[in-house]
Amino acid sequence: MSSATQQDRLLHRKPPPNTPSPAPPFSALPLSARHQDSRLDKRDDDFATAQASSKSTSLLDKGFEDDVKDNPRIEWLFAGLIFLLAAAFRFWRIDHPAGVVFDEVHFGKFASYYIRREFFFDVHPPLAKLLLAFAGWVIGYDGHYEFENIGESYVDNKVPYIGLRVLPAILGSLVPPVVYGIMRESGYPRIVGVLSAALVLIDNAHVTQTRLILLDAPLVLFMSIAFYSYIRFHKLRYSEFTKPWWTWMILTGVFLSLTISCKMVGLFAFCTVGTAVVIDLWNLLDIKRGLTIEHVAKHFAARAFGLIFVPAVVYLFWFWVHFTVLNRSGTGDEFMSPAFQQTLLDSPLTLNAEEIRYYDTIVLQHRGTKAFLHSHVDRYPLKYDDGRISSAGQQVTAYKFNDTNNHWIVEPTKEIPETGRGRVVRQHDIITLRHVMTNTTLLTHDVACPTLATNTEFTTWDGVNEEQEQDTRFKIEIDDAHEGQQWMTKSSHFQLVHVGTRVAMWTHQDPLLPDWAFKQQEVNGNKNLKDKSTFWVVDEIIKDPNVTDRARPPPKEPKKVKSMNFFRKFFELQIAMLQHNAGLTDSHPYASGPINWPFLLAGISFWTGAGELRQQVYMVGNPVSWWLCVVALSVFVGVIGADQLAQRRGMTPIPKATRNRLYNSGGFFMLAWLYHYLPFFSMSRQLFLHHYLPAHLCSALVAGAVFHFIASETINYPISVAGPTTRRRPRQVAEVGKGMVVAVAVIVVALLAGYLFLAPLTYGFPGLDPEQVNRRRILSTWTLHYAK
Amino acid sequence: MSFPSASSHLHINTNTANTRPSRSASPSPTRDRDWVDVYAPNEAGLPLYKARTSNNPQQPMEVIDSSTARRRGGGPVVDAFAQPSSASDDEEARRRAEEEEDDGGKGEKSSWPVTGIGMEEQFNQTIKPSGRREFEAVGTGRKGKDGGKWDKLIPERRPAATWTAVLREVAQDIKPHIPLIVYTFLSLFTRLYRIGANNSVVWDEAHFGKFGAFYLNRTFFFDVHPPLGKMLVGLAGALTGFNGSFDYPSGAVYPEHVPYRAMRVLLALPGIAMVPLAWGTAVELRFSKWSQHIVTLMTLCDLAWLVISRFVLLDSMLLFFTFTTVYFLACFNNQQRRPFEEEWWVFLALTGISIGCVASVKWVGLFVTALVGIYTAEDLWNKFGDLKMPLRTYIRHWIARILCLIVIPFCTYALCFKIHFLILNRSGGGDSQMSSLFQAHLEGNDFARNPLEPAFGSKLTLKNMGYGGGLLHSHVQTYPVGSQQQQVTCYHYKDENNEWIVTPTWEADPIDPNGDIVHLKHGDTMRLVHASTGRNLHSHAVVAPVSKLNNEVSAYGNATVGDSNDYWVVEVVDDFLRGSRTKFERIHSLSTRLRFKHLNSGCYLVASNAILPQWGFKQVEVSCDKNNNPKDEHTYWNIESHWNDRLPAGDQKLYRSPFFRDFWHLNVAMMTSNNALVPDADKEDTIASGPFEWPFLWNGMRMNGWQDNGIKYYLLGNAVTWWMASASLAVWVGTIMWHLGRFQRKINDFAPGEWNQFLYVSKIAFGGWAFHYIPFLIMGRVTYLHHYLPTLWFSVIMVGFLLDHFVFKSRRWTLRTKWIVFTLVAGAVVGTFLWFRECAWVSRDRQGSQASQVEEELEHLRL
Repeated sequence: MSSATQQDRLLHRKPPPNTPSPAPPFSALPLSARHQDSRLDKRDDDFATAQASSKSTSLLDKGFEDDVKDNPRIEWLFAGLIFLLAAAFRFWRIDHPAGVVFDEVHFGKFASYYIRREFFFDVHPPLAKLLLAFAGWVIGYDGHYEFENIGESYVDNKVPYIGLRVLPAILGSLVPPVVYGIMRESGYPRIVGVLSAALVLIDNAHVTQTRLILLDAPLVLFMSIAFYSYIRFHKLRYSEFTKPWWTWMILTGVFLSLTISCKMVGLFAFCTVGTAVVIDLWNLLDIKRGLTIEHVAKHFAARAFGLIFVPAVVYLFWFWVHFTVLNRSGTGDEFMSPAFQQTLLDSPLTLNAEEIRYYDTIVLQHRGTKAFLHSHVDRYPLKYDDGRISSAGQQVTAYKFNDTNNHWIVEPTKEIPETGRGRVVRQHDIITLRHVMTNTTLLTHDVACPTLATNTEFTTWDGVNEEQEQDTRFKIEIDDAHEGQQWMTKSSHFQLVHVGTRVAMWTHQDPLLPDWAFKQQEVNGNKNLKDKSTFWVVDEIIKDPNVTDRARPPPKEPKKVKSMNFFRKFFELQIAMLQHNAGLTDSHPYASGPINWPFLLAGISFWTGAGELRQQVYMVGNPVSWWLCVVALSVFVGVIGADQLAQRRGMTPIPKATRNRLYNSGGFFMLAWLYHYLPFFSMSRQLFLHHYLPAHLCSALVAGAVFHFIASETINYPISVAGPTTRRRPRQVAEVGKGMVVAVAVIVVALLAGYLFLAPLTYGFPGLDPEQVNRRRILSTWTLHYAK
Repeated sequence: MSFPSASSHLHINTNTANTRPSRSASPSPTRDRDWVDVYAPNEAGLPLYKARTSNNPQQPMEVIDSSTARRRGGGPVVDAFAQPSSASDDEEARRRAEEEEDDGGKGEKSSWPVTGIGMEEQFNQTIKPSGRREFEAVGTGRKGKDGGKWDKLIPERRPAATWTAVLREVAQDIKPHIPLIVYTFLSLFTRLYRIGANNSVVWDEAHFGKFGAFYLNRTFFFDVHPPLGKMLVGLAGALTGFNGSFDYPSGAVYPEHVPYRAMRVLLALPGIAMVPLAWGTAVELRFSKWSQHIVTLMTLCDLAWLVISRFVLLDSMLLFFTFTTVYFLACFNNQQRRPFEEEWWVFLALTGISIGCVASVKWVGLFVTALVGIYTAEDLWNKFGDLKMPLRTYIRHWIARILCLIVIPFCTYALCFKIHFLILNRSGGGDSQMSSLFQAHLEGNDFARNPLEPAFGSKLTLKNMGYGGGLLHSHVQTYPVGSQQQQVTCYHYKDENNEWIVTPTWEADPIDPNGDIVHLKHGDTMRLVHASTGRNLHSHAVVAPVSKLNNEVSAYGNATVGDSNDYWVVEVVDDFLRGSRTKFERIHSLSTRLRFKHLNSGCYLVASNAILPQWGFKQVEVSCDKNNNPKDEHTYWNIESHWNDRLPAGDQKLYRSPFFRDFWHLNVAMMTSNNALVPDADKEDTIASGPFEWPFLWNGMRMNGWQDNGIKYYLLGNAVTWWMASASLAVWVGTIMWHLGRFQRKINDFAPGEWNQFLYVSKIAFGGWAFHYIPFLIMGRVTYLHHYLPTLWFSVIMVGFLLDHFVFKSRRWTLRTKWIVFTLVAGAVVGTFLWFRECAWVSRDRQGSQASQVEEELEHLRL
């Protein structure tokens, strides 16, 4: 574009804000102007973006700041008031109940582990737990308490639980002001912001969930801040690549990352923003925007940096902190690989792992079933019930109990020296195993095992038949080891792979062998070498106290802790978390399906006090809030549907600006709700009402948008910050009628009434008699205690 | 087969075009078409993707689909009739010029195709298009409505028709169908070759053969699949003279009297028809000749489709109906520009019937139904936006869709069940899945003979009326948790452990065997004594083992030991036959719906869908529900069997069971059992495979036990086909993104109409694939490789489509390149088939070879 045109544009700038020139409200404009406006809107974008490369930040002066947003002081005042009110709701009787409530069992315990620096395993990423631990550390909690059972007293166990609860309470109190901010930044009038904030603020579920030692407060807070930042970023779209633009984008990325660092559901927030970004980029690609393909690529790269790279770094950072803090062996060792366990202080692996040498007597243990490799003089029956024939050899089984029949001697198949390192067994060595009690050697051969026709039979060789000798050779294949690595007790997970037939020694519990093998576990050869259940470990080396083994050097001092690459640690933990998460399928009395959540059909009994006081904490939402939100969601769908039908028939019932607001802003909130709700339907793990908490927040945003659409014909427009070359657009300000204020007031009163009615269940105070409990059982599906 | 037939088709087109008058004077590549493509509103860029096969500019390019072919009436003019002596090219050109002159005078005259040897000339010159029907009527000797007005126009048969000419004519007529015929024969050969080689019950023949036998024996059975496929198995059995006296144990050798070979042949027919259907679908989707051949070859040479079609299984039928649905949908789409005409209706209705059939074979058919549904919804949405369409027409469109795509399929589906119920009128193993009232009507079942009105002292069984409900059951095993008393469960299998005796309370007088009969009625309090163990049905404030919110129900005490926790209050809900409970007093067996309230705790006896762990033999948990939910059918019970010597026997006439209730009941029971087919974590199922493995063909599936000395089959897809098919899906995603991105930059790579055609075929291929694949990712039940077989078809369509898009219809490549690509692809497909043919044909005698050897051989075959 020529500079003359640019000059022209600049001349058409808006007057500075101190010269009052109130733009006529949209409805006051002549019809032709409205139409013009809708066309201008599109072209404005073009001009703004076309000039993007030549803009400079100095042009982004205050004069271009849209003054639809009112005095920031008033905004801060409102936000502050909302925060104080929210804090009051959460801090009231925060000391009650003075016992372990619901999932505090887990998260309190994890905080203790962090403080004690003992490694533990959990399905959630570390950030939220780190925050709790940090709070505990600050208030001087020493992490001595294990949080074993729901209802155990904190007072008796001397746990500074109030301090631990303060952090979630503060974070939770910050959520309603952020919701208010989201609505304000999206261009809704103050009263609508108040409505959305009230739906979240005066809600029993949010309050219950965010005043206890749980992860949801940081999760919901970070998610809402991420949305807030994204909206701020999007509003700066005419001032691309400026400092504020970068700031808000990176803040979006960081907070998204913090969300997912609290719980995996943060992924849904990523999807929400990701979808919006993709749509945005798609529009930038449109040739009508006049951007070169290189420029679009630059936009893409910027977002890839801010919304993918930065979050990835942040996410990894918390894991780094996690691994750094947890440097002692603890309850989580079992879930991790031996290599990982050896990085922990005091790990039994680092303390006891020993090299195995030839002619050592060892005990082999199956990793999956914890049974020992066993053999005894009894033989396989010649013919099984199904008519198949066995070798009638000596039985080899797996047996859970310690027994001298579990002892095997490792023998070489090659020449080994009398003493020294040459006697150490190493990765890929071929060995034979001699059974001590019967003096026979382990073998497998091409005979089907008793229970599975596909697997080979294990038996032993008594040294008579020369042909069978070949079948006794097994190769040690240690998991994740390099060539020549030593075979260690405890720490080497290995497969015993038969040289002749390439099967791995395996055992299983279903079915057990019949009576002729004393119901012990069958040992057989599994062809599937990738099967993780084919791994064994050497439990110990049996030493004969009477014999001094001169081949074996004296025991060394405890080994040093090994180090491991951070990324390998990270991926190992990440995969274990995902696998474990999918495995949480046990039934739970208070688990509920997603379909129940928006309608509040089920709650969760968090805590029940002593019988005579009849106190209980029951996590359930404020029905007024939740049901209003459901109504809003359905109205939104109805309006969009009706508008689509009308448009299809060539009618445009909604003014263009209002429709854009409804589709873009309301659509974004709706998208967020969908992403935070629908995926739960495809999850098979156990689900609880509190999983709906982020979705409820999104639905409160939708409710605000819908309320505004219904109550007011006009909107605040434009709300995007004008760039240096954005053409001036006719502004309009949403009219806030008295009716709107009254309606919001009525809703707030109803919310308060609903909240206070259920408050005894939220705070666990005061206790209720059966009649009062029954009255509060609004739906028959709520399972309250003390109803009789 | 001789391949160059592709070019000969085009040759025919030239002739056809010659005989047709042009609609306008200006030459245009599309001038000789008599139709307007709704998907290509602007004709200028058409024909869609027609490659020239020669450099002769005179040769017109044209697209043939079934509708144009039908309209045009097929064959070219045979020279022997049109021109007595063989016409030289010059003459030909002259004749054409004359024609055009003629035509020029008549302006916009369009013409109708004519079937009739040598008549076209005459017809074109003299008859107005509107006279077509009359003309045909006259030609066949029937009187037209104008009463023989056109009689004089019938040309006299020229005697010059020689036999050679007739033969040539016939040959010309057949020529376009030669590939179809050849492929059909190849299909017959491949599917039937050594079909009886394995004379034992292979794989799921054990199920479906048995079900077929049930139809012949007319005994009622229960299965998770709808009945159509199994009824066809039964029909095949009936046609081949099978008497139903074999119960198909897995792996057993067929006895003499079972015509297994003939049954397999009959059931292979749908599988055989897949190949010609594949050809037809490719034609209807307007693929190029090359792609038509590729797609058909892939269908012909896929080993998995081949193996699965060779046995007494439902899969060949499922595949067949899936193929027909897609085929008819494509045909219907080609009729879109002629709404409400005869063929439009025919294809819409056929699509509907196909849907009904496919869903009546297996519920997997619902996925292709969903595809048709989405297609229709989009179509109606487009029409909704057509402001020029009168409302009446639009509503007629809706009615047509509802009629053909909802009413017809539903009727087809329901009809299958109706026939199912009509055939199976004897009591059998599936009884317990049905309501007691239904069972009363089966022959060999004595329910209806049982006394009608239960009284104290009656021995009875109680059936839960919730969906999939069983009989109230108890056995000597005890709960390992809770009270540790004797277990009470709900169980389908019928034995004495289901029998309970209605006994008065401890305080009341015991039953006097000679006293008055006290009938059971609403509000009575009673004990239920378990007949075989003598224990009382008992409940107490102990948490139930699975439904933790309910109380436990156990069997406790004996004839002397017991307490008031054994008391249950009988509450009548209503009666199926007599209406609400105010209208009658006495309870009837079978038809009265009862609830049992625990007197002390006020909870209700319930058997919800909670399954007990292994210690309870995976039977349904029975518990006591503290929430009184009067609408919960799981708390409803009815009396099923009833024994009391002192009461008169009932009469079957007193019971009736409406069809739709049975229909619904059976469908829900099928659904419940289907969902219960979850993978057992404790059990190694070696042949099951996950959806993620299928598109990559990670593994095959053993079709039968690989015992030594047996003939072994291996369900293994044609690797080239499967991998190309899977890859094509990814390529398609890339392609569409690329084109959309280019559109966004206002770069259009398509001629008008091409893009719409691209989208339409994309939706069928990708949409169909996604609908058939994604649900398997979500569903929790155990899945096998053969579940992917219907899905595969859509990705095969995608292969043909993308080959067209990138190679065969692309203007970028020379004919030579296209030939090379075609040869490579077709060669790879056929070659792989031949390489692996042993998996399906077992042409070498492998008897005596061991399983490990076979695996070794497969190892060699591995690519």
